[in-house]
Amino acid sequence: MTWRIILQLALSGLSIGSIYALVGLALVLPFKASGIVNFAQGEIVTFGAYLALILSGLGLPYLAVVPLVLVGAAMFGMATERLLIRPIANQPEFTLVIVTFAIGFIIKAAIRLHWQDNTFSIDAPFVGPPLVLGALRLNPAYLVFILGTVVVVAALFLFFGYSKFGKAMRATALDPIAAKLMGIRIGSVFSAAWALSTMLGAFVGLLLAPVIGINPEIGHLILKGLVAAVIGGFSSLGGAVVGGLLLGLLETYAGAFFGATFKNLVPFGVLILLLLLRPQGLAGASSVRRV
Amino acid sequence: MRARVLLILAGVVLLAALPLVATSYYLYLVELAMINVIVAVGLNLLSGNCGQISLCNASFMGIGAYCTALCTTHFGLSTLIALPASVVVSALLGAALGYPARRLSGLYLALTTLGFLELVGIVIEEFPEYTGGIRGLKVAKPDIFGLSLQSNAALYFFVFVLTIAAVVVGANVQRSRYGRAFDAVRQSPFAAQALGIPVARVKVIAFSLNAAFAGFAGGLLSSVVGFIDPPEFGILTSIQHITFIVVGGLGSITGSIVGAVALTALPEALRGVQEYAELIYGLILLGTLLFLPKGLVGLAARLELLRPARPLTEPPAKPTAKEPVYGAP
Amino acid sequence: MFGKGLRGVFCAAAVLGAFFGASFGTFSTQARADEPGVTPDSITIGAFGPITGPAAYIGLAGRDGANLAIKEINAAGGINSRKLSMVFEDDGHSPTKALAAVKKLIDQDHVFMIFCVAGSNGTLGTIDFVRENGRVMYVSFASAPGVTWPFARNLFRGGTTEVPRYGELYAEYLHEYLKATKIAILNGREEYPKNEGDALTAQLKNWYQTAPVKRAEFNIGDKDFTPQLLEIQGADPQVIAIFGNPAEAAIAMRQAKELGMNQQFFLGTTMVDQSLLNVAKQAAEGASGFALLPLLPSSSNPEMKAWVAKWKQEYPNLPAGRPNVFDVLSYSDMYAVADAIKRAGKDLTTDRLIDALEATHEYRAGAIASPLTFTKKHHIGNLRLQAMQVKNGEWEPVAFEGKRESDILKRYQ
Repeated sequence: MTWRIILQLALSGLSIGSIYALVGLALVLPFKASGIVNFAQGEIVTFGAYLALILSGLGLPYLAVVPLVLVGAAMFGMATERLLIRPIANQPEFTLVIVTFAIGFIIKAAIRLHWQDNTFSIDAPFVGPPLVLGALRLNPAYLVFILGTVVVVAALFLFFGYSKFGKAMRATALDPIAAKLMGIRIGSVFSAAWALSTMLGAFVGLLLAPVIGINPEIGHLILKGLVAAVIGGFSSLGGAVVGGLLLGLLETYAGAFFGATFKNLVPFGVLILLLLLRPQGLAGASSVRRV
Repeated sequence: MRARVLLILAGVVLLAALPLVATSYYLYLVELAMINVIVAVGLNLLSGNCGQISLCNASFMGIGAYCTALCTTHFGLSTLIALPASVVVSALLGAALGYPARRLSGLYLALTTLGFLELVGIVIEEFPEYTGGIRGLKVAKPDIFGLSLQSNAALYFFVFVLTIAAVVVGANVQRSRYGRAFDAVRQSPFAAQALGIPVARVKVIAFSLNAAFAGFAGGLLSSVVGFIDPPEFGILTSIQHITFIVVGGLGSITGSIVGAVALTALPEALRGVQEYAELIYGLILLGTLLFLPKGLVGLAARLELLRPARPLTEPPAKPTAKEPVYGAP
Repeated sequence: MFGKGLRGVFCAAAVLGAFFGASFGTFSTQARADEPGVTPDSITIGAFGPITGPAAYIGLAGRDGANLAIKEINAAGGINSRKLSMVFEDDGHSPTKALAAVKKLIDQDHVFMIFCVAGSNGTLGTIDFVRENGRVMYVSFASAPGVTWPFARNLFRGGTTEVPRYGELYAEYLHEYLKATKIAILNGREEYPKNEGDALTAQLKNWYQTAPVKRAEFNIGDKDFTPQLLEIQGADPQVIAIFGNPAEAAIAMRQAKELGMNQQFFLGTTMVDQSLLNVAKQAAEGASGFALLPLLPSSSNPEMKAWVAKWKQEYPNLPAGRPNVFDVLSYSDMYAVADAIKRAGKDLTTDRLIDALEATHEYRAGAIASPLTFTKKHHIGNLRLQAMQVKNGEWEPVAFEGKRESDILKRYQ
């Protein structure tokens, strides 16, 4: 193990971890707002990638595709929340879990019917030859993943900390009834939370599409996003980000030192250990009821 | 009450007579439906009655399936030994999962079970000398007292009798003090604890029972199909099991039966639409969840077609408001 | 209350009655012909494969390729003045569902024979039932050895070859043609790639008493291969063999180049395809591998171009990536089956079909197909794969033929 290898692995670990962090963020947002985990989040990523494919196919350059996809995803999120989630908000947890799975299932089935299983690719300005830094090779796309996550986290921090609507969302998450009493339209808050979440998911799809190719199965990384969110206690946005980065690093180093089996085991081993020993994650507040 | 008994008897007699008229295809489908009924009954005890969400039901089915396969194929034991062994192994592993997870609920429990599901999948793939790994495993035909169940009818009756036994056991558990304890834990763990019910222990028992039923069903599956592979017991299958009870009716034995039969028949009925089957299945499922929140049994009750034997699982009472109140404690 | 209960009983009785009526109906409506699936003017072939789920690209191509062949054969007058028709069932790549599909085809639809375009696991789920049942099953895609060993008179494997043969050809190509002694293997942890990796390792040991210098695995769905690649780089191989899916292989090759690794790549059969070149682009230049067919659908060979044109005319609305190798393979295999049916004569029975198939010698449906040979001793139709290399962004055939005698046939002596 030379320094070069360790640093190289750190870079790839952080960049794949950024992806996990973004997916984790997208999962925690609607959970904080409305208590629902959106198991269709993986398919939202896929949806974003294919939407980018459609728009690229119309001749639009990548930088024009990005805002269009984000807007499209936000609209999709709001529509889903309004039409599919809100009517059944009072049902038992199982129903909500299955409904989000069903939505994801339908998205994937529809995509598979139309595009079948071919792997497509789109061009993006950040795909190119690696930057050379001494003995290290830095893939520019990886840097963009990391930067993209930093930008998103900063934007969310500003939004929740300083904007009126962001504060309204935080208030609703804390206590919906009190928020209603204060005049906050919590219906809009829920829609906004879902819209933000689908935008994040689609953003991940946008980042991944030029780098790893577009096919119906890329949504599989929701599992990693779930682990990232759990590391953060599923109640803290910052925790989800840290969780994602940690998971990426852990996985990469475990894979390098112990082989692919371990790489596979790490996320789920971590998941179970954390849930059993410290469900509030590394950062969250205690939410375990002792029975 | 009389009508209900007549109904059940009629159903049993008709099903018993099925091998006289049906082709091996239909017998096979009914066998699969019966196996799914066992799964649904077990899952309903854990999730519908005890209120614990589990995303790893398919894993216990897989554990039972592989256990039976190993006993019969690797060790040459009779199915009459392999099946109970699978049930015991699954039950023990169910308890092993339920015990550390007894303090968790809701999302955290769901994620723990998800982690367990993935781990079991990895373990199955890591020992291909025993499990066949990703390439799958061939299972010997079930053999009882040295007689191999070669004929279609013999295998069918084997599964049929065992399914009835499982349903009867499930119904009895539901009516027993354990069943009542499950309901109490679901409705309010605090009140249950206050009443002296050992909530943690009850949850472990619920997990263990659920795993036993699932493992039993898995053992039957490997005997009926004769070939198993890891994707058969993955997350999609777990979700499918949950759909059985949600669409059928949470907390109700009839719901388990109706849901399992309907959702085993549905994909077969959708064969005609070829590659659109998945999309249509998803849409039908979504529609049922949105418009029939209490499941098919709930619909039957509403249409006054039958009076359910016990009240269906009700969602916790929420204060009425124009907008839904999310996140209330 | 009694009224309500009775309503429920009637409803349930109606449902059960309908169920029974359906069973009765299916039992009695099929007037049994002398040979199921054969009437004076038609032959019904049953087929199954995955048309939903992640493996749908196999089954859809299998169905469409076979249907194209059937349409052409019927347009040319059919076989011995009978028209062919095909009933297709989905198996969702699951052994449980595959068995349901085959039972339906044989018991409900009374097909004459089964044309299997499923993956290995789906196919293996049905083998026992088909063996006992006696209908001919012709397997086009599945490479699991269980199809042809233990030997069964009614099971045949067509255009695709068996997994151990991959190992033999790969080993011979790498060791004798590329003269590489230090080989690293990177394979995905899925059935097919793992089989390829295992077969290569086993054959390197059997024939050449060497072992790969490094074997690393990745999980399907992985996006980053840096740990595995660094491990392989440390072992300093001459050739890096990658077995997996085109999407992952493309990323792995690009990442390897970025890490400064310039070894030649050797790819598994699913990656010898245009879709790999679309994603890997420059990184794939110089890579070699074996294709299931003598020509890829993207080839500039005039016969293949004409074939693709006529396929596109039949299926104008399908997305990029179709036709794929499975379309061509299924089309060619259907022609091979049709040829055997023709030689079986007007008095068509299962036995006559088996005799005709066993008499097949170097039959090929044109340059787009591999020549197929069956004998009374073995039903492995094809032992060839076509070596190819990426030159100037295209897969070009390489003039390499496996010269060592295959060990597989020794079992059947």
